[in-house]
Amino acid sequence: MKKQYLIVLIFAGLLTVFNACQKQNGTAYKALIVTGQNNHHWKSSSPILKDLLEQTGLFSAEIAQSPDKGGDMNTFNPDFSKYSVVVIDYNGDSWSEKTKSAFVDYVNNGGGLVVYHAGDNTFPEWKEYNLMIGLGGWGDRNEKDGPYMYYRHDSLIIDSSAGRGGNHGKRHEFELIARNTEHPITKGLPKHWIHGADELYAQLRGPGKNMEILATAYSDTAKGGTGRDEPLLMALSYGKGRIFHTALGHADEDGGPALECVGFITTFQRGAEWAATGKVTQKVPYDFPTQTGSSLRPDFKVLTVEGDLAKIAQYDITKSTKYYSDLQSHIRYEAKTPADYQAFEKQIIKVLESSEASEDGKKLLLREISWMGSDLSIPVIKELAKNEKLKDVAEYALARLQPSK
Amino acid sequence: MLDKSTRRDFLKRSATVATGALIIPQIIPSTALGMGGKLPPSDRIVMGGIGLGSQGTSNMRDFLELRNKVQYVAICDVDANHAANAKGLADKANNNKDCRIYGDYREFLEKEKLDAVSIALPDHWHGLIYTAAANKKLDVYGEKPICRTIKDGQTIVSAVKKNNIIWQTGSWQRSQTNFHHAVELVRNGRIGKITHIEVGLPNGNKGIGTPPVKEVPAELNWEMWLGPALKVPYRGVSHWDWRWILDYSGGQLTDWAGHHIDIANWGAELEHTGPVEISGEGVYPRDGIFNVPVEYDFLCKYANGIEMRVANSARLVHGGGATWYGEKGWINVDRGRIEASDPKILQEVIGPNEIQIYKSDNHWQNFIDCVKSRKEPIAPIEVAYRAISVALLGEIAMTTGQKIQWDPVKEEIIGNPAASRLLSRPYRQPWSLPTI
Repeated sequence: MKKQYLIVLIFAGLLTVFNACQKQNGTAYKALIVTGQNNHHWKSSSPILKDLLEQTGLFSAEIAQSPDKGGDMNTFNPDFSKYSVVVIDYNGDSWSEKTKSAFVDYVNNGGGLVVYHAGDNTFPEWKEYNLMIGLGGWGDRNEKDGPYMYYRHDSLIIDSSAGRGGNHGKRHEFELIARNTEHPITKGLPKHWIHGADELYAQLRGPGKNMEILATAYSDTAKGGTGRDEPLLMALSYGKGRIFHTALGHADEDGGPALECVGFITTFQRGAEWAATGKVTQKVPYDFPTQTGSSLRPDFKVLTVEGDLAKIAQYDITKSTKYYSDLQSHIRYEAKTPADYQAFEKQIIKVLESSEASEDGKKLLLREISWMGSDLSIPVIKELAKNEKLKDVAEYALARLQPSK
Repeated sequence: MLDKSTRRDFLKRSATVATGALIIPQIIPSTALGMGGKLPPSDRIVMGGIGLGSQGTSNMRDFLELRNKVQYVAICDVDANHAANAKGLADKANNNKDCRIYGDYREFLEKEKLDAVSIALPDHWHGLIYTAAANKKLDVYGEKPICRTIKDGQTIVSAVKKNNIIWQTGSWQRSQTNFHHAVELVRNGRIGKITHIEVGLPNGNKGIGTPPVKEVPAELNWEMWLGPALKVPYRGVSHWDWRWILDYSGGQLTDWAGHHIDIANWGAELEHTGPVEISGEGVYPRDGIFNVPVEYDFLCKYANGIEMRVANSARLVHGGGATWYGEKGWINVDRGRIEASDPKILQEVIGPNEIQIYKSDNHWQNFIDCVKSRKEPIAPIEVAYRAISVALLGEIAMTTGQKIQWDPVKEEIIGNPAASRLLSRPYRQPWSLPTI
């Protein structure tokens, strides 16, 4: 995937603004991702963010690429007013006064803004930008920029003590705790969930005005953290504009677990919709992480039933049950009527009939089909019951599907 | 998971006085007979134990502590180490070497002549062994939850009733003062008419991934441990941790249903019925052999309008335990605590003309007393079945992701063949659940 996006970037060449989205199939909102300078891998993250926005079906997204560091920033003048939401994947040189002024007008007049990861590092000297992001770090931020804000024992602490703004320990998986479960962005998400390995931003400080902290994570001293519950997802307002600030999502050269995390993806997508519209219409995905563990989407693709079944067909009893659990989740979330069950059943039957599929995989599928199957499955199950290794579980399925016998 | 340690700690804290007061009068007849404090053999209850892991051994100790009114003469366990340890306990109490050991409950039930049996097994064995013990006319002290499936439960209830045996469920909270007090206050209208109930049960276990297949240890009969459950390779998970695997248990939800849902039902007079509609969501591990829901939250509606929400305690305002909300206030009761919307409610005394709730100060003593008197113990079979049914129906709602309609009289799911199939877990041959 990295390769594809790089090709797109090279193709885009010198264009400062380009639109690589070919499918303008009636998406409701336009999004602009601002990038081009960053101490992170923006060439990897910006196309991913674009893809994630478009996956919602709500947005068509474009990327505005600034001149390189030290370049002539006077040439960088995106027309923010054309967009419903602007995503800041940028940490670099100051914009021109004209661009800054246009940006302030955009947000002030009700434009949506998403501040992503090091987007809260940039522009330490720009007062209005810091009001928009609420909390920031690095760039010589300190007590002059505003207090530290964090949680301790479920209470918000506003700490004006002197010290640097911005810090993080080693990258690791950590647990997000929702502090507001009624906000449109977090409503319906689990209160606790494990995030894919990421930098856990800490000691952020800033004006923190018109800001709601949606989620925090404990910054563990054992991982080089602060021992505080640090704010990582925030919702703010500035004038008529709505801002979603996610401190998550440290990008590797090829994306990586912080971006592949379904928790990051979902909160980013929901946050962008809320910033653009004030509402969230997206459903919580079936693969959202839980307190029991993180949930990643390799290549940013949702695991499909077809993909799960292909993996289950190769299943070996000594390996993980991930794809079987995923299939069960699909059925649980998606099947509501007998016809829905039958659609799943037909796909499962194909694997049960396949001579290529493993016996271990068939054992799992026979368990599942035992309750959600129908008469359609009986012939193949009877056939499998002739196999000594599958006999027990085939009989188990038959006993449920044909209780009279 | 907290069941065992919390229980013992709590009993130590709260029951010392009660035990003394209760036991002493009852040994007077035996001292009068000049037997050095021991009952004559004919008055002693002769017991056996099936399943002597942590909970089974704990129960056995509780029975042996009843001042020699109980004698264990036979032990049955599929783990030779468990059996040997339990024999050691029995022999020490009996001051001999005679306690007999079995690895197969069928042989145990065939050969032993017992008054009663204490049974503590993984839930997937309950249907077969509770039924077999009842059919042998043995009185049973059986661990909660009494069944893994609704069908198992229906069979067990029928067997207990048909054979007219004395049955005590291990829902020992019923014999604790604070739970009794809470139920008596609720039953006597101290918080007014009940509108809704919340039941908070422990959060789930985080899982261990997919451990490698291992050689079965010499002391364990793995085939017999699995019994009616589907055959799977041994991965070092059997005792205790069966609680986290759906083949054997529904997790903390079904483990604790026999405690807090049971108490909630007791207070709200729902002990002999069930919900009519159940809906909710579970959070399931995404990988690994532990597959029970680690978070759960479902709502049960009853025909009389009461709603009961069952969830892992982190989701509820009062956390764990049973909370009844009435028109005049609320009462929450959990291990080691009782709270109310107004503390004055808790100081209320129940008058002699008000509703008096069955009183027991020692759950194991209550069973033995009833074995002798042939009266019904404090935790009879049907109320135990109704308590676990709530959790099992919640499990079905969460498994299917659907709203379940339940007929609590006919005990059937209405209009949902897929969900109905989850009312049973078919047994692996040669095992089969008898028709009673």
